Amino acid sequence: MSLAKQLNILDYALQGLWRRRLKTGGIVIIFSAVIFLAASFQFTIKALNNLVDQDLQATPEIIIQKMSAGRQESIPLDYIKKLKGIWGIRRVVPRIWGYYFDATTKANYTVIGLNYKKMPMGGLLDKALIKGSLLPGSGEALVGTGVKEALRLPAKGAMLSLFRPDYSLKALKVSGEFMPSTDILTTDTILMNLADSRDLFGIKPGLVTDLCVYVANPREVTTIARKIAARLPDTRVVPKSQIKETYREVFGWRGGFASICLLTAIAAFIIFAWDKASGMNPDEKREVAILKVIGWQTADILGLRFYEGFIVSFMSFLLGCSLAYAHVSFMGAGLFRPILTGWSVIHPEMVLRPGLEFSDIFLIFSLVVPPYMAATIVPAWRSAIIPPDAAVN
Amino acid sequence: MLIECKRITKTYRSDNKLLKAVDGASFTADKGDFVVILGHSGSGKTTLLSLVGGLTRPDEGEVLIHNTSNWQQSDQALSVMRNKTIGFIFQFASLIPSLNVLENMALPLCFGHHQHDCTALAYKLLEEIGLADKAKAFPGQLSGGQQRRVAIARAFMNKPEIILADEPTGDLDEETENDILAMFRRYNEQGCTFLVVTHNNELGVSQNNPRTLRMRQGVLHA
Repeated sequence: MSLAKQLNILDYALQGLWRRRLKTGGIVIIFSAVIFLAASFQFTIKALNNLVDQDLQATPEIIIQKMSAGRQESIPLDYIKKLKGIWGIRRVVPRIWGYYFDATTKANYTVIGLNYKKMPMGGLLDKALIKGSLLPGSGEALVGTGVKEALRLPAKGAMLSLFRPDYSLKALKVSGEFMPSTDILTTDTILMNLADSRDLFGIKPGLVTDLCVYVANPREVTTIARKIAARLPDTRVVPKSQIKETYREVFGWRGGFASICLLTAIAAFIIFAWDKASGMNPDEKREVAILKVIGWQTADILGLRFYEGFIVSFMSFLLGCSLAYAHVSFMGAGLFRPILTGWSVIHPEMVLRPGLEFSDIFLIFSLVVPPYMAATIVPAWRSAIIPPDAAVN
Repeated sequence: MLIECKRITKTYRSDNKLLKAVDGASFTADKGDFVVILGHSGSGKTTLLSLVGGLTRPDEGEVLIHNTSNWQQSDQALSVMRNKTIGFIFQFASLIPSLNVLENMALPLCFGHHQHDCTALAYKLLEEIGLADKAKAFPGQLSGGQQRRVAIARAFMNKPEIILADEPTGDLDEETENDILAMFRRYNEQGCTFLVVTHNNELGVSQNNPRTLRMRQGVLHA
């Protein structure tokens, strides 16, 4: 009896929504649009974090940079010797990491000089190449897809001409380019060997910008970082976890700011829904009264309104989330990526894969469905207590 | 006793004046009775019907159906009573405009009945009133008289013990009026109790053993 009754009320609610399909459709579309925006941000942040996690897998566990007067300066290669004896360090690889401003394209390129043969996972770099299976030799460079596009480099036989600090030109042959899937980290990158990068930036022999420390056991990173900091007090020791955290904070702050704006939109919509639900027209009042005359209880009318609210908000939730997933997965979150990744001349073309986690879905659900239901409960109650004799008079 | 009204009174406030719509009305009706309450417009007939049907709470007195006071029951029990025991026919068609005829008919059976049973019974009643071909039509596509007939047929959907009818043949043509009154007679012969309020003196004549009461300015006279 009870189940049949509930099914009949649900059926009546569905029919009612279908009969008022223009109004229902309008509410679902507007609500879905708001949910789409909120869910897109949530999914994009998650996807960006996933991408960072994935791309940072092969990077060193610790970076050491020399500091002077609170600013970074070149670090002597001799510092590597000071690290000897710290148990757990697998290898220390010197690196030059700098920025090159190209006045023509008004873009900053990230120049990385590495002695990758010494890197424990240097061979993995090959896997990141889209063409040219060999790592760059002397006078050669690998470029990210953004650099290639910005400089309009030809597919074959491309040459880079970069200015040294003394404005003399350094020519490099482009021996390959990074895969687009690594764009978030490599799109603006020019990778060359250590000697060429030192030559390009005019760094004196025996100096690099930072030291990359590879650790055998990831669980010991914090301990090792602390030991390094103790031995090299004039340096900044940055564990990989801190880099990840920085990315998370950047995305989280930007996403959070945008989310506040979107929550305002959701709140505005819910106030609108409350306002719409409050104003019952005479036909709706008469309908409720007739239903009560023929035996519907106040609780049944409340149930009817509950089903209507749930169906509208849940449909909007499903539609908004599905569109958001498609927007992030298939359109690369085109609407919001600039907000989350920043504006620049070279913009990373990354493939985002939002992981569908229950917590995210539940968070979005909690933000939209219960508030909508709560906003419509008072108007629902007011409609449910209409006296049945309103149908007679 | 099926229906027992004990000195029921209902007062409305209008323009800061108190108006006694029903003033100490008492009467009884048993199974199979056909009670006609005659009165002019504004005499309180409709209010009396609302009081008997548990749609309006009396200020004084009480209405007992099957020896149970309407307003001493819970909202749920009162609703169940309205659903199972009473069929209402209002002065106006009172159909839900967004539902088609069949859906309007099925409304009283929404609880605990299968859709198939509802549809079969609705068709049977529509045939009785000659509107089976209008089952899928919406109220707006029917004439006023057809809407009235659908509303009348809907009152019989739950096979109620009591029919409360407010000017049931008010705006029907003579032929349809006769059909409806014949339908009333048929159900009355099967034991259904009718309480009909009207200003039409002739309505009672069409029934087998009508009992006529008169209402003037809220006071019921035997």
